[in-house]
Amino acid sequence: MTTRRDLFKIVGGSAVGLLFTPAPWRLIADSALWSENWPGIPRPARGEIRTRFTHCGLCPAGCAVRARCVGEQPVSLAGVEGGLCPFGVAGHHLPYHPARLKQGDRQAAAAAVAAVSEAHGTVALLDLRPGRTASWTYRRAMAALPHGVYLAPEEPAFAVDLAKAKTVLSLGAPLLDGWGRPSRVFAARSGFRLIQAEAVESRTAALADQWLPVRPGAEMALGPAVAAARSDALQSRDREGVPGAETNNAPLAYGAPTGPGSEALQSRDREGAVGAGAILDAPFGHGAAREGAVGAGAILDAPFGHGAAREGSAGAKTNAPLANARGSDVLGRGALRSRDREGAGVAQITGLAQEQIAQMARELRDNGPALILGREMTSEVLAWNVRVGAWGKTVGPREEAPVPHEWRKAAPVTPLPQVADGSLQALIIDESSAGARIPWADIQPKLAPDAVVVLLACARNGYAEHATHLLPTPVYPEALDDLPAPVDAMASEFRLSTPLVPAPEYAVDPVEFVSALAGLDAKDALRRRADAIHRAGRGRLIAYADGKSVPVKDLKPEEFWKALASGAEWIGEESRGPVPRIAPAASPRIAPAAVPGIALAAAPRIAPAASPRIAPAAAPGIAPAAATTPPDAAWPFFLAAAEESGGPLVSPLLSKIYQESRLRLGPHRAALNPHSGFAEGSRAAIETRYGRRIVEVTLDAGVPPGMVLVAGCGAGLEACRVVRI
Amino acid sequence: MNKRYGMSVDIDKCTGCGACMVACAVENNVPPAGAGVTGRKGITWLRVYKIDNGEEYPERRSAFVPMLCQQCGVETPCVHVCPQQAVEVDPATGIVGQMPERCLGCRYCMAACPYHARYFNWWDPVWPPGMEKTLNPDVAPRMRGVVEKCNFCHGRRHRAQERAAATGQRDIRPGDYIPACVEACPTGAIRFGDLNDPASEVAAARRQDGSFRLLEKLGTDPKIYYRSRREWVRQIAEAPKPGGKENARA
Repeated sequence: MTTRRDLFKIVGGSAVGLLFTPAPWRLIADSALWSENWPGIPRPARGEIRTRFTHCGLCPAGCAVRARCVGEQPVSLAGVEGGLCPFGVAGHHLPYHPARLKQGDRQAAAAAVAAVSEAHGTVALLDLRPGRTASWTYRRAMAALPHGVYLAPEEPAFAVDLAKAKTVLSLGAPLLDGWGRPSRVFAARSGFRLIQAEAVESRTAALADQWLPVRPGAEMALGPAVAAARSDALQSRDREGVPGAETNNAPLAYGAPTGPGSEALQSRDREGAVGAGAILDAPFGHGAAREGAVGAGAILDAPFGHGAAREGSAGAKTNAPLANARGSDVLGRGALRSRDREGAGVAQITGLAQEQIAQMARELRDNGPALILGREMTSEVLAWNVRVGAWGKTVGPREEAPVPHEWRKAAPVTPLPQVADGSLQALIIDESSAGARIPWADIQPKLAPDAVVVLLACARNGYAEHATHLLPTPVYPEALDDLPAPVDAMASEFRLSTPLVPAPEYAVDPVEFVSALAGLDAKDALRRRADAIHRAGRGRLIAYADGKSVPVKDLKPEEFWKALASGAEWIGEESRGPVPRIAPAASPRIAPAAVPGIALAAAPRIAPAASPRIAPAAAPGIAPAAATTPPDAAWPFFLAAAEESGGPLVSPLLSKIYQESRLRLGPHRAALNPHSGFAEGSRAAIETRYGRRIVEVTLDAGVPPGMVLVAGCGAGLEACRVVRI
Repeated sequence: MNKRYGMSVDIDKCTGCGACMVACAVENNVPPAGAGVTGRKGITWLRVYKIDNGEEYPERRSAFVPMLCQQCGVETPCVHVCPQQAVEVDPATGIVGQMPERCLGCRYCMAACPYHARYFNWWDPVWPPGMEKTLNPDVAPRMRGVVEKCNFCHGRRHRAQERAAATGQRDIRPGDYIPACVEACPTGAIRFGDLNDPASEVAAARRQDGSFRLLEKLGTDPKIYYRSRREWVRQIAEAPKPGGKENARA
């Protein structure tokens, strides 16, 4: 018989037993989940799924993008010709970035600039991504102002073709990490052997066929050194009487241009014009040009302004035609001896053995066509490429896409160093598009003491702290803009970054702002440019929606424009022509760059990070270097910019790679060698003569001793100290 | 015939750019990390690890290893330990699926996973104001308190199935269904396909020299095949986590 006691036992036992089943825990969890469901979990939008095409405006590579949209709202972006970079994949988040600028007094900024202009003060515009239609509008606007000046960083006057290269020597260029258009670079990657000369084991160095760990800042020293080493090999062969040495080696050793334009170049050289020699003469502002030499031999011996040209090389005296030059004829014994000394010096600067340099030179010669890439594609890099016979093969000229004839009356492009100090009363900076970055330390001396600085930007982390007026701009993919052809496009290109979402009302269109100052009507500038391209009748239009390629001449102007606005791309024809004339570097940038404690000869300074791809955001407190001082007891480290940080704004989702996985160096972290005396995760202060930044230390054995890497600091090499805190 | 979806990852091609990680998060509505969130508590269905050969500069050499759910096909550890049947292996595809609606949040599966490829939602998913408009309509955001992991972008598979059905096909054609990481990879290091189809790229890749699977000795038949020509890279096959301290060589 069941008693009351038994009943209590059953109930009690059941209650205890229930605790050992999932039921109560499930009940608690479900209650928690139900409570979580009502307010906070966002519900994705529903609607018609559409596909739209545009071009990524985050960097000059301008990858073709296929956007998947719900109604008008993009919900995912993908590449058309290949993958996108992580910044491009999440580009559609940028309009909603919490750090986006949302306020600015447009009228006050316009009045301040107008007041300067009316008082006949100099108004300058700094365009960080030149080559766009917007750039032409800026130039026209500056021409319309009484004292308008258009400033822009130097653009490469040539293009490279990776697909034709068999050997690529990269002098610190981030070839596999944001250099050029990724689809082109990786499509060509299996076709060439990559030699990466770089102090740090970067992503490109990690994937290179050969990584040459040179001393910090000495990458660019290898360009002329490779050629010098090759010439040594040639001299040796000449001495040994190797049959065919002249014919086999002269074009390579002396950079005789081959292919299109070579005859014109030779002819010009014979006439005493400044041809390839002028390009090659003064890689760092010294050398042959200063001495009046124009031959290729002069260049050969002046890697850093200390070469044989200064000493009066035979090449400089004889001005021999390049294609017919033979090593011993052009250079002479004195020059070669001088060059030998240079080779030893460069070996010491770079930390590489002379034999290694010679081996590299042989590889470039024997496994051509070769290509030399620099972190910045300057005229010096072009010069070295001409030397290795790349002109007309892997390097060539590229014309700009046609522009309306009447635009040609625009203001010229003025390099910043040519501007007199203290002469700018007003400076407008278009920072809305990521491009090259010019250190503020270079800009600031050009400004008058009470200068007006108007910054058009989408975030505060660039030049904002120096601006007197800050105006918010549209961001990708709100802005309508065109994209200049990247450095790895041999043909001229015209493509639009078509808006996928409308810009907010507070955003100020930089082109509209600047053109209004000058009284220009530039609203339809892109359309007029497209019409000019159509009138020229060259090239083809590639529509990504259907993959068709149509000759421009088969299209009506309206069809052409409509296709461009729908994400199509116009590709012109490859240019053929002689080596362009390039002025020597405006100012020498030579600074010691050696491992601390080792006194070395002068080495080239890395110019501040003006990557052809994405401008790194400026780090607060650390200004870019204007001139580097050698490390000593007070400044024992070299500070170097690590990887690009993706422009002024990156999607919050990039926390996946900066914060959660730490795949890339985040903005508040610094990488040091494990033997630097710091612990992983410890906090430290990096101090330069420009400021201080608190960072978290990451130990990385790929960083050489005596060097500290900071992401997005915008610096080249800068002496610094790292203080434990 | 049932499919057996798998992936091949060519480590020698991976630049560690992180595009796959970001594309994965975009596709699967994974929220950005809040302040202070670390790798341990963050959610990265696909995480790229940097590994090295253990040498000092300048002999040091690095490689990048994309790490995701290995889609174990035999004795799948997470399936075995789940008290809620919230983890299942789909016999039609071989994909190990995670059902957040059933998940209790006990995290047994995280403890059981030999690859550390499962992640727990410690917080509510939060996007900056306005950014929720960019969420993928094919994937529901998960709530706090549940585990999630890579499912080869099941939303994409459903879309591909719908498209196939709309055109009267029973099966998805190769190429109609690829996960977001595969689509995003700029170098083509990640390939996806049916391992049962001998003509597929992944089936060919797994037969190549230097191909290996992680912790193959456990006998769980993972469906992610890695490949490298470098011997020191292939040593990660024996490690529970690429680049972890457990992997340190003597």
